[in-house]
Amino acid sequence: MKYASLVLRSLFRHRLRTALTLSFLSLSVFLVALMQGFLGTLDSLTTSAASGSRLVVQDKASFTNTLPESYGNFLRAQPEVEAVTQFQWFGGEYKDPRNFFANFGVEKETYLKAYREEAGLDTLPPEQVRDFLRDGNGCAVGRALADKYGWKLGDVVPLASPIFDMSLRLNVRAIFKGKRPSDEQVLVFDLKQLQEKVTWMKGRVGAFILRVRNSRDIPRLCERIDRNFANASPETLSLSENAFNLNMMKMFGDFGTMLHAITSAVLFAILIVTASTMAMSIRERSAQIAVLRSIGFTAGKVMGLLLAEGLLLSLLGCILGLGLAVLAAKAAAGLASAVLPWMADFYIPADTLLACAGGTLALGLLSTFVPAYQASRKPIVDALRAL
Amino acid sequence: MADGEPIIRLRGLAKSYFRGALEIPVLTGIDLDIPRGAYYALMGPSGSGKTTLLNLLAGIDRPTRGELEVCGYRLNDFDDDTLAAWRAQNVGFIFQSYNLIPVLDAYENVELPLLLTDLSRAGRRERVMEALDLVGLAAQVHNYPRQLSGGQEQRVAIARAIVHEPDLVVADEPTGALDARSAEEVLNLIQHLNQELGKTIVMVTHDPKAARHAHIQIHLEKGVLDRAVEVHDLPRLEPLSSGHVLH
Repeated sequence: MKYASLVLRSLFRHRLRTALTLSFLSLSVFLVALMQGFLGTLDSLTTSAASGSRLVVQDKASFTNTLPESYGNFLRAQPEVEAVTQFQWFGGEYKDPRNFFANFGVEKETYLKAYREEAGLDTLPPEQVRDFLRDGNGCAVGRALADKYGWKLGDVVPLASPIFDMSLRLNVRAIFKGKRPSDEQVLVFDLKQLQEKVTWMKGRVGAFILRVRNSRDIPRLCERIDRNFANASPETLSLSENAFNLNMMKMFGDFGTMLHAITSAVLFAILIVTASTMAMSIRERSAQIAVLRSIGFTAGKVMGLLLAEGLLLSLLGCILGLGLAVLAAKAAAGLASAVLPWMADFYIPADTLLACAGGTLALGLLSTFVPAYQASRKPIVDALRAL
Repeated sequence: MADGEPIIRLRGLAKSYFRGALEIPVLTGIDLDIPRGAYYALMGPSGSGKTTLLNLLAGIDRPTRGELEVCGYRLNDFDDDTLAAWRAQNVGFIFQSYNLIPVLDAYENVELPLLLTDLSRAGRRERVMEALDLVGLAAQVHNYPRQLSGGQEQRVAIARAIVHEPDLVVADEPTGALDARSAEEVLNLIQHLNQELGKTIVMVTHDPKAARHAHIQIHLEKGVLDRAVEVHDLPRLEPLSSGHVLH
């Protein structure tokens, strides 16, 4: 502690330079933390435990095609299956195309079984479940979505779908609280609304969602289903819900590789900039370092002081960058969830924060090590001669 | 005045620099005893080896050959860390360009050598204040080097050189960057350190006026001891500007 003042003062001897380096460091840490948090959010979509117990059966050619409703008979007959629900993306907009959120036509009763965690069935009042199931025009909405648009039980929600070129007027019958923020960014209504009003949807579904008793059965079940419909028209493609979500993510591009590449580039930039700043700062002080060593500071002690400076610089950049990243993640989760419902789950997990902090501090030490080592080992008389 | 016991004992001391296989001698065969409590001035033209000799006996450089014994220790045997610890205890440095740490105030600069000791914060504070009082800068403890005049900076440097109570104080052209009046004040202060605190002083200087404050003037010529001249008419010791009486 008795050296704290020396370390602190030395670090801020060139305030502008230190401030600029700190800004760069914190911006870099901010970007890395956000990108890694984003990747973690994407990853959670494809590794969630609830999703792990479900599988999706879709048209083999494209998930935008529909399947015959009759395929459900075979699916329901499989011993591993706990519930089968039907599902159709509606793509409805509420009043304005900008008011976009996830909305699906579903087989209501089975939906509540297959998605009991996401629909918060354990906390949903029974009268709301009853009203939702009874009312053919009824819909269930997540709490966050209801709050956002000010919907209350009994309100009418008009939804216009450019895909189906039609509008629905749905009554809010249930408002559920999900396990994750993204669960509450969804509206579901009775699939029959589409099957009865859209000619080409009669007896068709977008996909089947199967909830299985044991997730270990999913690969075997997928294979059996696809084998069964191998010669049917259309053929099916069955895959776990996590794999389905992963495929959806891949439609946007290979985020993982891209973000990891950017992260690596940013980390490398941190290393270079910190090393350059510390090298410059240490080289300017070679005479002062020589004076400290004349006084009796050992090379090891001088090196320790210089490393402490690098570490402190990294620590400050880290705290600033991570603090901003946490705030930005909160803001992004609120803003982006309007377009991408799963973004409501966006946050930076503690292990990502710790990894960012550890990485930055390690880079801070690493980048200071070489100039600090050279300066602390330089012969005292050579450094004094440079005065 | 010197009590006769040598604090510095040099035998056959030589220092060379090497450019590839080429040896460039800077000091050759220096034999010298400096008694404890003495005040020596090292003089000579540029390149005569006086600063090299000062660096060697202060333990910040190593001889190529010869025996180097200072403050009772044979420095030839020390590794770098032991030598650093020895300097921390035994030597105080005064440089021509003061070499204060610009981001530390006067107090913190003087405190630096004490950070290497086991003294408590309060203990360090007492010693720092004593040293600054002694050099007449007790009122400027929180001034940074840029807020001090050259003479004041050198006095802070002197306080730093003596705060850990070393036996030996080495000074390399301590008045080289000062005006005549400040130089005289600094020389008077160094003379006080010698005469009243009993510090052994070895000072490199070009200035014959500065050298008159020393008991012995050692003249070096091309890396060898040319002659030693005893100074009989030392300047009268002026009272310190701080009014401080050294004991």
